[in-house]
Amino acid sequence: MKNRLRVLRAERGWSQADLADRLEVSRQSVNAIETGRFDPSLPLAFKLARLFTTAIEQIFTDEA
Amino acid sequence: MNIQLCNRQFSPLQRRTMQLFGANLALTAFLSLTSRDLAKDMQPGAFLIYFTALLPAVPVIGIVATVGRYLARETDDYIRMLVVQSLLWGLGITFVVDTYLGGLFAHPQIFRLIPILNIDLFCVSVGVAVRIQLRRAQ
Repeated sequence: MKNRLRVLRAERGWSQADLADRLEVSRQSVNAIETGRFDPSLPLAFKLARLFTTAIEQIFTDEA
Repeated sequence: MNIQLCNRQFSPLQRRTMQLFGANLALTAFLSLTSRDLAKDMQPGAFLIYFTALLPAVPVIGIVATVGRYLARETDDYIRMLVVQSLLWGLGITFVVDTYLGGLFAHPQIFRLIPILNIDLFCVSVGVAVRIQLRRAQ
């Protein structure tokens, strides 16, 4: 699954650690999601959407 | 939230889990050695032999409960996934080493070793696997 997390984060000038703090997860989690090694759970995806005030589909896109 | 295990910034849950894990591990090793010494002078078939042999299993249950407690309370899905993967690595390594040593123990003239505590081997394997997994995740 592709995502725009890195772009959205960069637009706000946040570091991975900043975003991790806001999401209450580890920095490794943010890194793994950004690099596509890990797909977040639905609650975390909703949390991301709320944080960036956008729809989940605007952050994540299905590669299929 | 501090969940960066690599940088030794543990969350309270992780710190507590490691304390419980370490205490149970030490207790297992202690009880294993103690029960072996206790059973040495007993008559075969004595009830106490079965009882003392069972003692080291009690902290093993503690270790399983500790890991279960951690997995149930860890809110970071990614870290939980890494820990589960590490547990599988630990199981795999323990089985492989056990099978290998089991084969060697069948020939005492070739090989003689103090029997390894499986749970210790498992815990060390899991610990190493967690470190490797987290390093890769940097």
